[in-house]
Amino acid sequence: MNWRKFFLEAATLIIAAVACALVANAMASRERKLVVVSAPAQTVAPPPPAPAPIATTTRQPDNPTTTQATVNRQPATKKPTTDNRQPTTQFNPHPDKPYIEIHGYDVKNLHDKGVLFLDARRTSVYEQGHIPGARPFSVWESDVDEKVNKLYAERSDPKDQNLPIVIYCSGGDCEDSHMLAQKLWGIQFNNVYVYKDGFPDWQKRGLPIHTGSNP
Amino acid sequence: MKWLAGPWLTIRVQIALGVIFVAAALPKIVDPPSFAHMIYNYKLIPWPLINPMALVMPWIELLCGLALILGIWKDTARTIIAALLVTFIIAISINLARGNAIDCGCFDVSAAGKTTAERIDDMRLVILRDLGMLLMVAQLWYASAQQRRLT
Repeated sequence: MNWRKFFLEAATLIIAAVACALVANAMASRERKLVVVSAPAQTVAPPPPAPAPIATTTRQPDNPTTTQATVNRQPATKKPTTDNRQPTTQFNPHPDKPYIEIHGYDVKNLHDKGVLFLDARRTSVYEQGHIPGARPFSVWESDVDEKVNKLYAERSDPKDQNLPIVIYCSGGDCEDSHMLAQKLWGIQFNNVYVYKDGFPDWQKRGLPIHTGSNP
Repeated sequence: MKWLAGPWLTIRVQIALGVIFVAAALPKIVDPPSFAHMIYNYKLIPWPLINPMALVMPWIELLCGLALILGIWKDTARTIIAALLVTFIIAISINLARGNAIDCGCFDVSAAGKTTAERIDDMRLVILRDLGMLLMVAQLWYASAQQRRLT
């Protein structure tokens, strides 16, 4: 084999592949796009909240998908006033842990109280059916940081950051909800719960399901 | 063993291997986030490399597959394909040894919703299938070596 020729051709093929990949990714729709260079989500710790015992150390979520999550320090633009924003008493903030795994009964209980639900599955799967009120937050799509930052902006008040958030994916060995929980914990959301058995369990319990792109 | 290096067999093996790689590349090109998820499930790749790998690897498969189909840069394309196949076999074998049941993400990147036992069975079959494709590469190498010897 002519090694010089081989290396030249191999380099050309690989460079062509990289170029095609970058062009295709640039042209891809939001749901099919990837963040090209993913770096550790070394989050900037937001200002420590007054009432809640929030860890002050920089947290490093173990998340494979995202670029550095920049925290929007702007005051919240929305201040919902509904009573479902009251912290759930039995689900207290846990700043020492990124998330706590919970099961069907607790999930239903939190859902009934109007707690925010995030769906970590792919958007296409979310549209086929999701827990009513849940927002699509796929960790594998390029806009996840944008969504996380928007959520932070909505809940920039420390009191709001202590409100429970429930994250779910497909249950079983699905880790997407855990990844998203790590990411939220990284920007000081201290009361995150992972619905361990995920959407299949919700379906199995015969609970209501919404379809389409709206929560 | 002349038939093994003959053009009749060689051209068919070459095109078949090319078509297989093009077919494997397309679903991954269409949905890179799902492929990135599949790569993550292997638990072998440092996470900063997962997304670049999910973006570039399918295009390498596609271009190598097309090169084999069109008969250009055949030596290089089949060498890269052999390297990819060996990598896939090692990656799946490691996960099989760990008992980590995963979807291989070879031709389909959507979550199949299989049971652990089904996934483990599939992983064994994937290793056999990849070994079969390595045999195809070996045939192409052998035919090429025989041809060089004659010329």
